[in-house]
Amino acid sequence: MAELHIIGQIVGASGFPHKSLFCKWGLQTGCAWKLLSGLREGQTQVDNPVIQDMAYWSHPIDVHYATKGLQGWPKLYMQVWHQDSFGRNELCGYGFCHIPSSPGTHDIQCVTWRPLGTWQEQLSQMFVGGGPQLKHSDLIYTGADRYRLQTMAMGKVHLQLSIILRNFDQYGVEY
Amino acid sequence: MLSGKPSVFLLMVNGQIESADFPEFDELYCKYSYVYGHDWAPTTGLEEGISQITSKNRDSNQCFVWNFPMEITFKSTNPFGWPQIVISVYGADLFGNDVVRGYGGVHVPTTPGRHKRTIPMFVPESSSKLQKFTSWLTGRRPEFTDPKVVAQGEGREVTRVLSQGYVTISFNIVTKDLKKLGYDSIPANQTSDNTGF
Repeated sequence: MAELHIIGQIVGASGFPHKSLFCKWGLQTGCAWKLLSGLREGQTQVDNPVIQDMAYWSHPIDVHYATKGLQGWPKLYMQVWHQDSFGRNELCGYGFCHIPSSPGTHDIQCVTWRPLGTWQEQLSQMFVGGGPQLKHSDLIYTGADRYRLQTMAMGKVHLQLSIILRNFDQYGVEY
Repeated sequence: MLSGKPSVFLLMVNGQIESADFPEFDELYCKYSYVYGHDWAPTTGLEEGISQITSKNRDSNQCFVWNFPMEITFKSTNPFGWPQIVISVYGADLFGNDVVRGYGGVHVPTTPGRHKRTIPMFVPESSSKLQKFTSWLTGRRPEFTDPKVVAQGEGREVTRVLSQGYVTISFNIVTKDLKKLGYDSIPANQTSDNTGF
């Protein structure tokens, strides 16, 4: 069986209109993949940057997968939320990126988007906050029903991931 | 000469905590320690250290320089639990108390070679304005009971922090027998061409 190690961190986020942000993340794989050790999902701390615009989470990711096939290569999906001074959580963006398939250290910037509602909803969002959210979060990483959605661009999530592969070359896989 | 496959691989880390950038503070020192999984054990070197106290330069170079050496070698059977270095920066506040200025952590790089990492440092945030004022007055700022919590993924969702500085660390990494055990951690454009001259 071939093995994949993902070792790195979700560094932070930049380009969002709000400052006090946190991220809920998860890893999605196909059925040939088996999680041997590590956490497959999590939630970062809430960071309120003092001197710079970027929110820093430094959230460690250390996951060990074993696989029997290449299909369903792991994808990291994330939801960036804003926590305001009253403690309310408001959705800021959804994004996903594939885990790199080549060994080494990769600096990844994952773009995010937010669903856009009707103009009445946008107006109330400007005053009170809130806003539409996805009912089924698997739409973040699949493209199946996306054509019905209207979205707006949000900021970027910065990741630094190191990939270690094992036994892939024994099966003839070239990377 | 042992025949057969090796059972452990080694990771040698040589590096230094170079400098820090905290615009609002002065006179800082830092502590470092390593957090690693159950399959890992340090063989030689120091696992923890405390640096000197350094101040900002008077002129335009407004960063703190520690130039603090770190040397350690780990052995392991499994890349899971790859070591992370956890850094805590402390300084004196207005009243002379020792308070925490930032926590941060990063994984030790997985590829051999020379690497530089600039990591953000953050402190836990006070839960209310009154708490913020009393902690400023008494010198007892909110801090983590164990700085190693920065290296964990669980339990972070309840922490609220302020990020207020950066620390730059440089690493020189050497691995032994990682390839013999079947692990491939080196990117394709870095592998050496052994065809000879």
